Amino acid sequence: MSVFSPPEPADIILEVRDLRKEFIARRGRARVRAVDGVSFALRRGEILGLVGESGSGKTTIGKLIMRLVEPSSGSIEVAGFEPGPRGGGADIAYRRRVQMIFQDPYASMNPHFRIKDVLEEPLLIHHIGKTREERLAMVARVMEKVKMTPVADFLDRHPHMLSGGQRQRIATARALILRPSVIVADEPVSMIDLSTRAEILHLLKTIQEEMELSFIYITHDISTARYFADRIAVMYLGRIVEIGGRDEVIDHPFHPYTRALIAAVCEPEAGRAGTLRELQVRGEIPSASDIPSGCRFRTRCMYAAEECSALPEPGLEDIGGGHSHACRRWKEIGATRA
Amino acid sequence: MGDMTRAGTEPVLSVRGLKLHYFTSKGAVRAVDGISFDLYPGETLGLVGESGCGKTSAGSALLGMASPPGRIVEGSILVDGTEVVGMSERSLRRDLRWSKVSMVFQGAMNCLTPVYTIRELMAETYREHAPEKKRDAVAKGGEGIDNLLAESLRLVGLPAATLGRYPHELSGGMKQRVAIAMALFLEPKVVVMDEPTTALDVIVQAQILNLVKGLKRDLGLSCVFITHDLATEAEIADRILVMYAGRMAELGSSEDIFGNDPRRGSQRPRRGSSHPYTKMLLASTPRLHRRVSELAFIPGSPPDLIDPPEGCRFAPRCPFAKAKCHRDEPPISELGPGHLAACWKAMEDPEYERL
Amino acid sequence: MSAGEFWNEFSKSKTGLVGLALMLVFVLLGAFGGLLVPFPDAARHWRDIDYWQDEPLAAPPVWTNAFAARKGAPSSILTRFRTEKETRDDGVAIETFVFAYSFTYDRPPRDLVVRVPGSGRVPMAIWLERPDGLSAELYRDQVDLSGGGENRVSVTRDCARAAIEFVRSRDEALADTMNADLIKPVEILFAKPGSGIPGAPAPLKGIYEIRIRALVVSPDFSLGRPTVIVSGQVSGIMGTDASKRDVFTGIVLGIRWALMIGILSSAVTVVAGVLLGIVAAYFGGALDWLLTRLYELVYFLPVLPFLIVISAIFKPSIWVLIAIICAFFWTGSFKTVYGMTLQIKEESFVEASRALGSGPWRIVLRHIAPMLLPYSFASMALSVPAIIVYEASVSLIGLGDATIVSWGQILESALTQGAVINGLWWWVLPPGLMIALMGMSFAFLGTALDKILHPKLRTR
Repeated sequence: MSVFSPPEPADIILEVRDLRKEFIARRGRARVRAVDGVSFALRRGEILGLVGESGSGKTTIGKLIMRLVEPSSGSIEVAGFEPGPRGGGADIAYRRRVQMIFQDPYASMNPHFRIKDVLEEPLLIHHIGKTREERLAMVARVMEKVKMTPVADFLDRHPHMLSGGQRQRIATARALILRPSVIVADEPVSMIDLSTRAEILHLLKTIQEEMELSFIYITHDISTARYFADRIAVMYLGRIVEIGGRDEVIDHPFHPYTRALIAAVCEPEAGRAGTLRELQVRGEIPSASDIPSGCRFRTRCMYAAEECSALPEPGLEDIGGGHSHACRRWKEIGATRA
Repeated sequence: MGDMTRAGTEPVLSVRGLKLHYFTSKGAVRAVDGISFDLYPGETLGLVGESGCGKTSAGSALLGMASPPGRIVEGSILVDGTEVVGMSERSLRRDLRWSKVSMVFQGAMNCLTPVYTIRELMAETYREHAPEKKRDAVAKGGEGIDNLLAESLRLVGLPAATLGRYPHELSGGMKQRVAIAMALFLEPKVVVMDEPTTALDVIVQAQILNLVKGLKRDLGLSCVFITHDLATEAEIADRILVMYAGRMAELGSSEDIFGNDPRRGSQRPRRGSSHPYTKMLLASTPRLHRRVSELAFIPGSPPDLIDPPEGCRFAPRCPFAKAKCHRDEPPISELGPGHLAACWKAMEDPEYERL
Repeated sequence: MSAGEFWNEFSKSKTGLVGLALMLVFVLLGAFGGLLVPFPDAARHWRDIDYWQDEPLAAPPVWTNAFAARKGAPSSILTRFRTEKETRDDGVAIETFVFAYSFTYDRPPRDLVVRVPGSGRVPMAIWLERPDGLSAELYRDQVDLSGGGENRVSVTRDCARAAIEFVRSRDEALADTMNADLIKPVEILFAKPGSGIPGAPAPLKGIYEIRIRALVVSPDFSLGRPTVIVSGQVSGIMGTDASKRDVFTGIVLGIRWALMIGILSSAVTVVAGVLLGIVAAYFGGALDWLLTRLYELVYFLPVLPFLIVISAIFKPSIWVLIAIICAFFWTGSFKTVYGMTLQIKEESFVEASRALGSGPWRIVLRHIAPMLLPYSFASMALSVPAIIVYEASVSLIGLGDATIVSWGQILESALTQGAVINGLWWWVLPPGLMIALMGMSFAFLGTALDKILHPKLRTR
């Protein structure tokens, strides 16, 4: 079985089943279905890229997995067990297993804290390390892992004294210090300079291999997902519309939304300035409080037909090789794997 | 020195030796430290660089604006024959801003006050920038102004009904279109756009870029397009100026910078960028359709702009740097017609390629 | 921000430094002022009539002499004297205490008070020797000081007849026109001979001697050190009030109360408001609902009627007033902190801490509260002026604590005893100015603190 096929049960570190999250908007009238039935499994040592535009629900999934937000329904299991109620033993154990790297390297750290405080916090919360020295030793070790050396130089600094890339390294260190199994990285490089982005991604990849970590890599930039992830799941309006190995999904997209997304990506190549880019969507993203019936992409899909609104929403169809998508009409459209 | 791509046409915007410094308590931050370029009618010039390279400050300078404690200290900016540097605030407001040069600011779409309708917001902007006689027509209100506003909305592909909506009812893309419409009110010769698509989704970004291309084609708009993303720049710009630490690293056509595919027709094959910074930036940009196993990055960080190093500002991070590079500032040399670079290596060894 | 960095920033602010300097002056005066004032134990005796009886009533400050055409004699205490001892032929010892008083002013003092402590029965006489050689017998009596005590002779009170007799010795007719109840004895005694009496006779300038003669008769008799108190036309740095109290002393004593009331109340109200604000905003839910309703209730409740009712039930005491201030004044910081906490709660780093597994109390204590400390300090400084004014206002309407010496109390007695009507500006202005000055110093301090410590949530 190819490395990109769905994982074997023994391999699975994180499993999400029919996860849903509904928000009641302030006015009380609108029910926003941010995540509307998402299921996937993450294998040990695997990087899953969650790609989508704003409103796709990818960030909400990250928060659900991190238990910053409670699901409306559905389940999340890490290493086979579900986190219990907040504050309970199971919840604490869960948090040691799953950690997060946030998008904004400036905002995700308390500006009054020193770096050593930032990194010591998780240890203090989980009562790891009995003495200050013990904890500082662990802090130094994890800083070496993210190449923030010499350690002594950085320990007493405040976050605003570091560059964006350096802060994101510290954020990574903070996520690693508890030795989790799963890391949710929410747009970890989108607010960092281009020339440093690859450095951070490279670091994350190295750490991932060394520590056999599993990653959920949330991004709107499908190009970095190609570079970083093993598998890619494309999300639209709260659901996964296509999932598969990264090369598969990008080189042979089946779902019209994936194809539209790929067609819209700009590349650094010459000769584009005079030509309009052919876009394969119509209109705007519908509001998440008013999701179209049937296939939710049909209002923008170039290939939408009668059946797309008449029939219920298609689920993910497995077309082999670990590649699934949610388009009923793929054969008519002519999407192939060739 | 000008870049002489089009003999016979006059540039609509001409910048020479522009310097803009911020005078802080810690010293003068030399944000823009001597850049020169020309913009020809109907062309899009891309100003690209990472954060801190000075591109936003350079863009503001084109309207004679420098946010305090900044000041244009040197150089010349000629817009349609008028010298911007040294103009009084009154003249700038009366004769230049919006009528000759307008701007779509970074995050403009987020500056739309939520309590006003689009009509009110647009009318306000129009009143602020329109010359006296037109302003009176606006002040009187009524259909006159509505027609004007609806027309500018039509230009950017929005229905007239948008006028009655509130900003929070519009999507990001729609708001950005409104911002572009407002920049086009007085039919300026040059529009400066500062990261107009950075906060937008991929598909919406492509739509907005298409819009800008369309405006270029239909209105003959000349545009200075500022962004940090090389891929976006490739999509929209005819010529590109790569900035680093306040200075120009490289300036050339899209083909000069990105190279062209020799398989496509009989164009003169060009290998692509010549300045090491541009090369490395390009190598750091992830590609969707080309399988790249390793993505490059540039170690280190940009220099301190209060006290920049001697010699070439990129030398500390450049893999090709020699003693001369650390000592002497490289002059701007012409590597090909309209293709300029400030690099000793490129000057002495134009065929150097392997990175 | 470390202490060193803070001080660097703070010392750049002129207003802050002025505020700090003023506050330090106030604190020092509040602590040690008691030692500087002419009446060290005035605090205990503020409402004791006897304590102040030797002072002039409603006398302007001493420095007003600089602007006066006719300069008044200032109050002073004569403590140096020389003793003349003689023995009479019959063996009786006579002790004479001689005080010299140099009078060079245009208006004589209001009174001369002679105090002679002692015990036993002693015949005593007091004479005034004028520079022109004339002398007047002021007083002659058998003083009974059995059991110890003090003999107090006030010229104005006790020597009217003696003054008339002094005039009679030179001008009988004039003396007959004088009424002992209506004349001013000191003026007459100090008048130049021949100058128009009554009216304002021109005074004789020069050195006067006050001679106290005591006959040492019985053996169980002893005499202590006498003093002569000159009760002047002008007195002290800030004059005296209608109860003869030295205003300057009152003002200095008031500093302590102002500081105490101001700082204590502001500390309690701000801490209470901050804590409640954080708890309500962070925990939300029922607790938020409850505290917000409490806030609304207290905010809209009018303090004054409440205060009046409370004062009717309990006697008006400063502690009751402080309690009421604390009960009502926490609403301002509650509202602000509520809003700030709601905002901080949404910050990414709070979310990151929750993601790590932080419980709510850790977040409140480690992330939220430290961000509110700067606001709290600035708020404390800034609420002191309002509280001081509040106490003064409450005192002015008669609901204050009459047993303490606060500026409000001084103002209250000034207004009720007709200071304004009688033009006693030196009584009314100082307390008002001090309230303003202290308010100003805390306001400067608070504004400087606010500017420096205002949480910079982003520093790019």
